[in-house]
Amino acid sequence: MADAPPSSADEKPQNPVSQAVQPVNHDSQDTKVEPVKETSPTSVFVNSEPIREEQVQNAVKFLSHPKVRGSPVIYRRSFLERKGLTKEEIDEAFRRVPDPTPAATATQTVVTTQDGQVKSSSNVQQQPPAQVVQPTPTGPVTSISKMGTLSRFHWYHAILAVGFLAASGAGTAVLFKNAVIPRLKSWIRRVVLEEDEEGQIKKNDSKPSIAEEAAAAAKAAAAAAADVARASQEMLTTKSEEKRCFEELISMLNVQVNEMKSMSSAIQNLEGKSIQGRIAVEEQDNRGVSGTTSRQPYVNGKADTDSHSVRSLSPPSSAEPSVPPHPKSYMEIMAMIQRGEKPSNIREINDAPPNPNQPVSNPRLAPRPKPWEVGQAQSSSVNAYPTQESSNSSAYEYPDNQLNGDDAAPWWQRKNVRITEIEAGEEQKRGSSNVLTNEQPARRSWVPPQPPPVVMPEAAAAIRQPKKASYQTEQLTDDQLLARAADGTDELQRITKFSESGGALEANGENCGLHSTEMPKEDNGTYLEA
Amino acid sequence: MPVFKVPFNGYSVKFSPFYENQLAVATAQNFGILGNGRLHVLQLGPAVTERAAFDTADGVYDLCWSESHDSLIVAAVADGSLKIYDLSLPPASNPIRSLHEHARECHGVDFNTVRKDSFLSASWDDTVKLWTVDRPASVRTFKEHAYCVYSAAWNPRHADVFASASGDCTTRIWDVREPGSTMILPAHEFEILSCDWNKYDDCIIATASVDKSIKVWDVRSYRVPVAVLNGHGYAVRKVKFSPHRGSLMASCSYDMTVCLWDYMVEDALIGRYDHHTEFAVGVDMSVFVDGLLASTGWDELVYVWQHGTDPRAP
Repeated sequence: MADAPPSSADEKPQNPVSQAVQPVNHDSQDTKVEPVKETSPTSVFVNSEPIREEQVQNAVKFLSHPKVRGSPVIYRRSFLERKGLTKEEIDEAFRRVPDPTPAATATQTVVTTQDGQVKSSSNVQQQPPAQVVQPTPTGPVTSISKMGTLSRFHWYHAILAVGFLAASGAGTAVLFKNAVIPRLKSWIRRVVLEEDEEGQIKKNDSKPSIAEEAAAAAKAAAAAAADVARASQEMLTTKSEEKRCFEELISMLNVQVNEMKSMSSAIQNLEGKSIQGRIAVEEQDNRGVSGTTSRQPYVNGKADTDSHSVRSLSPPSSAEPSVPPHPKSYMEIMAMIQRGEKPSNIREINDAPPNPNQPVSNPRLAPRPKPWEVGQAQSSSVNAYPTQESSNSSAYEYPDNQLNGDDAAPWWQRKNVRITEIEAGEEQKRGSSNVLTNEQPARRSWVPPQPPPVVMPEAAAAIRQPKKASYQTEQLTDDQLLARAADGTDELQRITKFSESGGALEANGENCGLHSTEMPKEDNGTYLEA
Repeated sequence: MPVFKVPFNGYSVKFSPFYENQLAVATAQNFGILGNGRLHVLQLGPAVTERAAFDTADGVYDLCWSESHDSLIVAAVADGSLKIYDLSLPPASNPIRSLHEHARECHGVDFNTVRKDSFLSASWDDTVKLWTVDRPASVRTFKEHAYCVYSAAWNPRHADVFASASGDCTTRIWDVREPGSTMILPAHEFEILSCDWNKYDDCIIATASVDKSIKVWDVRSYRVPVAVLNGHGYAVRKVKFSPHRGSLMASCSYDMTVCLWDYMVEDALIGRYDHHTEFAVGVDMSVFVDGLLASTGWDELVYVWQHGTDPRAP
């Protein structure tokens, strides 16, 4: 559907101004490039450099750095882009570095990752209804992603805590087992030994055996008590360990809570029209914070105060950006906003469209060709102006200044040199004003062809030609009209009235020709069609 | 040259592509920080008069005239919406459309001069969107920039190609037929606030940055700029190539000046106007009158003057 006007290919050679000014190779390259672009995918607006291995390796080193690993993917890409890597090189680097943080990448749904273009294309070329939904969540998505990571940390820590508890519990159980069983065994052994001993002794002495038994029992009891004491001590230590774990956990939770609080306040700020964000961005402009810093707009006025404390008076010769002094009232308003006050001069305005389905009115004028597009029309229209001396040293010279109507040339159209001359000679030299201005240096004067204000039924018919009515053909009819409009001061007056009124036409009987400029309804869609 | 005073801080000014004596001005209250906005349509004559004005709830950061319809204007509003106004309808019927998809401020709009049926919006939500007047939803969304997109500009000769300038310090070239950007120019070390194509060489693009410079690039060999234009004292807010001369461009800056450059010439700065008393934020060159400039700034003034004359001369 895209048809870049083929005129541009022809235009170049006819443009002496640009030829004089530009290197010649531009012209030849342009004429070559122009048709190529339309037919083949290799356009001049595409980077066709091969991948530079050195750059890719540097990028891989960068991406492998642990600190970089933790940053969002889009900031990594942005850094590499600023270093001059192409998309292909960046994608290659990402491919070579395994990405262990799926959390970070998953939340950046629209950022080109290793799948690069495919992913972005699938995201960008969504259905319009999805598109409406898509951009609005991107704001909260970034914050949600942060909260998501927070909550993941939260879960992680909870799991850790549970693990600790379980471990400590298991540890105590194990300790118990280790403590009790050997003691039991030793106790049994002792008892057995003692029994044996006692058995031997008993033969000798029964009475002491009782005492001995008692002693043994006491010993056993003491041992048991000692064991119990030890066990309880160990329990205490494990409990204190648990306590420590708990405390650590609580402190971590507190940290998380604080972070969540700051996030929620940041979100509130974001929702509340992020005034500080707007200020911060302005300060960004002035301070020239490089893109490596994190997204400042969400930070409350921090950037603001920093920048205002720095009033650089150094000479502007260096490329280092310095803070331009802001107007005093600007500072006052900023201070108000920082305090949370709203400036009193703000009104409640409802700027919603009263009728969102209001049909667009019909345009009254055909689009006018741009100065840089005029070249090809010029070639055909030159012959139509025998009266003009426009020696085509400049392709952009046009029979002009039919706008110099009324008493004085509209001031915005006077050229520097001729200001007084034109004023003086205006009224007398109406007819020859064209010649006068044509004597000006070729480069300086170009005024476009008038919108067809003249009574020309042929022209009206030409305009009403359906389709093929690209603006180029419109242009030609304009030129034809101009040729005829060059004679006759009445026409000039009508034209000036037309232009002076800014195109707002009054329905005069005489100006019935002006109606021919109205776009007939059937042509309304011409310029809006792709 | 008459000057026009607007009630709010000026943000953008554009000449009409249909009427040589018409231009529109986008303004925002309270420097665009927080407040209402207003779109003015001015008429040039012995004095500059206001033909129409439309109030908006939030500041208007940019505007563009339709290239196919002489009375349609698209306004980029700070609340993220795009409003379309039809001057041939009474004010009570305006705006005729409000397109709200951007999640953050709309900072730039540009109308396609080749196909004349579509326009782009650049937003601080990192995306550029493609629209047509007759559709209520965007046609395409281009999301690749890592930071605010400040401006988007159609190529004057290729109907499907456009460039975007972003705070992520890159300028990207896009083709609407392709899913993603086709070229990435890491044009500056700091944020890029504006970009524009050379009307007479469709491969030349200029970028204006916070680093106070304007760089001119040839997309065919984009590693090294064709020219680096220094001279502004602070960030350059907007750059515009002349519709009449291939190498001429106008720029406005936070140093309150409007400068004219010819990047083909050794000493590129060929004009400097310091008529504004606050940041100069908007500049445009007329397609009808060679050398006619318009500028606006935070000093709430709109100037229209011929290159070579004093803007403040009565």
